[in-house]
Amino acid sequence: MFYREAGQFKATYAADQAVFPIRQDRIGLALILVAAYVAVPLLGGDFLLSSVMIPFLILSLAAIALNILTGYAGLVSLGTAGFMGAGAYAAYKLSTLFPQVNILVWIVVSGFASCAIGVLFGLPSLRIKGFYLTVATLASQFFLQWCFVRVSWLYNYNPSGAIEVPARALFGLAITGPSASPVTRYLIVLTIVVAMTWFASNLVHGRIGRSWMAIRDMDIAAQLIGIRLYPAKLLAFAVSSFYAGVAGAMMVFLWLGAAEPDAFNINLSFLLLFMVIIGGLGSLTGSFFGAALIHILPIAVRQAPASVGLTIGGATVEHLTYVITGAMIIVFLIVEPHGLARLLQIGKQKLRTWPFPY
Amino acid sequence: MNPLYQIFVDPFVQMAGAPDLFAQTIWEGFVGGMLYALIALGYVLIFKASGVFNFAQGIMMVFAALTLVGLHEMGVHAYIALLLTLGVMYLLAVGVERAVLRPLVNQPDIILFMATFGLTYLLIGAGELVFGGNPKTMIAKELGLPSGGIDFNILGGLVSLQRIDIAAAVIASILVAGLAAFFQYTRVGRALRAVADDHQAALSVGISLNEIWVVVWFAAGVVALATGVMWGARSNVSFALQIVALKALPVLILGGFTSVPGAIVGGLVVGIGEKLGEFYWGPLLGGGIESWLAYVIALAFLLFRPHGLFGEKIIERI
Amino acid sequence: MNIAASPHATGAQGAAHGGPLRDPLLAVESISLSFGGLKAVSEVSFDIRRGEIRAIIGPNGAGKTSMLNCINGFYHPQEGRITFKGVARRRMKPHEAASQGIARTFQNVALFKGMSTLDNIMTGRALKMRRGFLWQLLRHGPALAEEIEHRKFCEEIIDFLEIEHIRKTPVGKLPYGLQKRVELGRALAMEPDLLLLDEPMAGMNVEEKRDMSRFILDVNRHFGMTIALIEHDMGVVMDLSDRVVVLEYGRKIADGSPDEVKSNQRVIDAYLGVAR
Repeated sequence: MFYREAGQFKATYAADQAVFPIRQDRIGLALILVAAYVAVPLLGGDFLLSSVMIPFLILSLAAIALNILTGYAGLVSLGTAGFMGAGAYAAYKLSTLFPQVNILVWIVVSGFASCAIGVLFGLPSLRIKGFYLTVATLASQFFLQWCFVRVSWLYNYNPSGAIEVPARALFGLAITGPSASPVTRYLIVLTIVVAMTWFASNLVHGRIGRSWMAIRDMDIAAQLIGIRLYPAKLLAFAVSSFYAGVAGAMMVFLWLGAAEPDAFNINLSFLLLFMVIIGGLGSLTGSFFGAALIHILPIAVRQAPASVGLTIGGATVEHLTYVITGAMIIVFLIVEPHGLARLLQIGKQKLRTWPFPY
Repeated sequence: MNPLYQIFVDPFVQMAGAPDLFAQTIWEGFVGGMLYALIALGYVLIFKASGVFNFAQGIMMVFAALTLVGLHEMGVHAYIALLLTLGVMYLLAVGVERAVLRPLVNQPDIILFMATFGLTYLLIGAGELVFGGNPKTMIAKELGLPSGGIDFNILGGLVSLQRIDIAAAVIASILVAGLAAFFQYTRVGRALRAVADDHQAALSVGISLNEIWVVVWFAAGVVALATGVMWGARSNVSFALQIVALKALPVLILGGFTSVPGAIVGGLVVGIGEKLGEFYWGPLLGGGIESWLAYVIALAFLLFRPHGLFGEKIIERI
Repeated sequence: MNIAASPHATGAQGAAHGGPLRDPLLAVESISLSFGGLKAVSEVSFDIRRGEIRAIIGPNGAGKTSMLNCINGFYHPQEGRITFKGVARRRMKPHEAASQGIARTFQNVALFKGMSTLDNIMTGRALKMRRGFLWQLLRHGPALAEEIEHRKFCEEIIDFLEIEHIRKTPVGKLPYGLQKRVELGRALAMEPDLLLLDEPMAGMNVEEKRDMSRFILDVNRHFGMTIALIEHDMGVVMDLSDRVVVLEYGRKIADGSPDEVKSNQRVIDAYLGVAR
């Protein structure tokens, strides 16, 4: 009833080319933003902020990174965690070498380091396609992870081999390190994620996004209408690894507080790919859904038995999480291969025509 | 010493200086390569028959080995456990065909690829739930596999071959030859090759895709079991072994996803190259380069042969 | 629609067609192309004049599509020369051909299946859009203005091809005939000087063929676009085209006006299959 576009006439192409042409969608987005900025910090406890919302937002950004590469440009990557690590280590090095510069600047700048590495590892995409490229992206994952372990300069020769986040402040307010409050960190993460999602949305709705999708859908035809494959593919790698790098830097600085090389292992790359697939390939909204599902599921599995009075060992819970995740992926693919984003779309369509199905 | 000398001259001087060590390294690379080739063969079989890049192949290997050892721990005789494990792998093949392949037929490649990721997680979780997550020792002796080493006094030194490695190489060769014969000379084998060539055409002459899928997934399961036993005997059985399967992936870049000879030669190239690299060049970089060297070898190869070892240049048509 | 505003279009009108004095837009000189031992095209020469509709016909496997692939840089002939707009070229990448003004549709529809009709046609404007990465990130000011300007252009094409109702539909869901139409739209969006159509009417019913013929003629007559087309329907070929070149087994066996070709003995033999 309330979700109708009838009566909303678009008099200009500008209105029709908007990202959200339907008014209810714009109102919905505004409500979500208000809730995220006001309601969550006011009502949510530290657990909700530190263990649910901050990881969810950071993982969403990483999923967007992978979605740009895989969902839009059609290049399936298993190396996202490596690029996140590149961003994290770059931010760590930069912030310890130049402590006088604000950490937020370094978090964003570290994206460029990851970006450069991403372009380098994107070079094989010029010669190989499909699953061959997917396997080649594993090279970046393993090589980068090896660097995080072996190149001690990267972690300032710390004997533990881990990187620990220095305490930094903005306008006297602690934003990283142990004294930073969850609310502060949450609001910073939220702002960065919202801004970067907006940029990504602009990108994929314009010329560049269209040329990526053209390459994804039929690279030969894309070439013949004048799209230059290699620059476009490398740009996809660059943007994707920039996003991954920023997500990785935030993961260490604003979520974990410290990280070992193993934080960026191949399992994280896999999980990000699940998020993208379950959320929906080629959908930014889907990246958020996927991240929510994959991140919150283990938390739910851990809490569920306790809430009904059962006690299950920690190891068993972990195994169960694996089983449930695996089964869920298969079921999801069978039920809706286009992911949660498509389900939302179908739901909206139903709502639009409700109560008459036609 | 200048770095160019260290990279380009010194390792070769070492090789020539100690031929026994060199031979030893080559042999170890060769055995590792045979096992990579076997894992890669598992990928190739399934890719050829169903167009699925079965990411779960590595996990199937661990799962098979874990089932075998786990059953033995429960007091089942080793050979009966082996038979039972084969049965489990068959059930797995049927299950995958019913629950994954059949509902997802005609979906894009990436969807099927992701489904095998789901399978990977499912198998990890199920395996650990049933048999526990602790590393186990492979029941090599109970299965009648040899142990100990043979030493050869050749090349002015000592070359030591582990009996289990020799057995691994022999079993791998027999398995490869057996599979080749099976697909060359049997009815199912012909049907499989037809399916690999063109699904639609194969369907239209009355070949049952479902049947072929079960056979192929079972064959891949057998290969997985064999590799699982071999790798398990060399280290031990745990899900950490799956990293080995990830290292078999560069073999696929090298040899191609559809070529059986490519898998074998690619496996040997990766296995030997990796050992030589780690032994002679690894120290220069601080060691541990085995984790990514295979990929670099494969990618370097691609620069010169973009279509893989045995791939033909495909003429793109529009 | 302002396709004619393209600087190279001659603005030819229906009456003055195919005169022998018109300069060739594209000349193909003794092109040979082989794959391994198989000769797909051997020593074929012909030209396409500005403003004409040039048909390439021949039995299956005669090398027609290979010929088009050579012209837009997808295949590289081993021998021979292709001159486009007076400039000879040997090796060229497909996107370079596109930026010089050669557009193309395909035998088996090659649309971007995951995108809507509008987005497919907008993709055809890729070469005309100039705003760089940073503006694209903002999608305001000049970038948005550019987007809207091109949207207007694409809407004109959508009007012209009568596909307004499927503007926002993903093309993968469209029936075949409409997909072919969208593909033509995407090629037109490039404002090409030379439009290559590979079997634009394959698999269509009579009505759809009539629509498509009308679009092709309109594009040619009113906007002066030069067209080369491959088509198996002889009726269509004879009605539409100004000149016809006939290929058989990769060789040219006839070249001339539809009437000349129709009465050429070798062409009749090729089509009726005379024992040799």
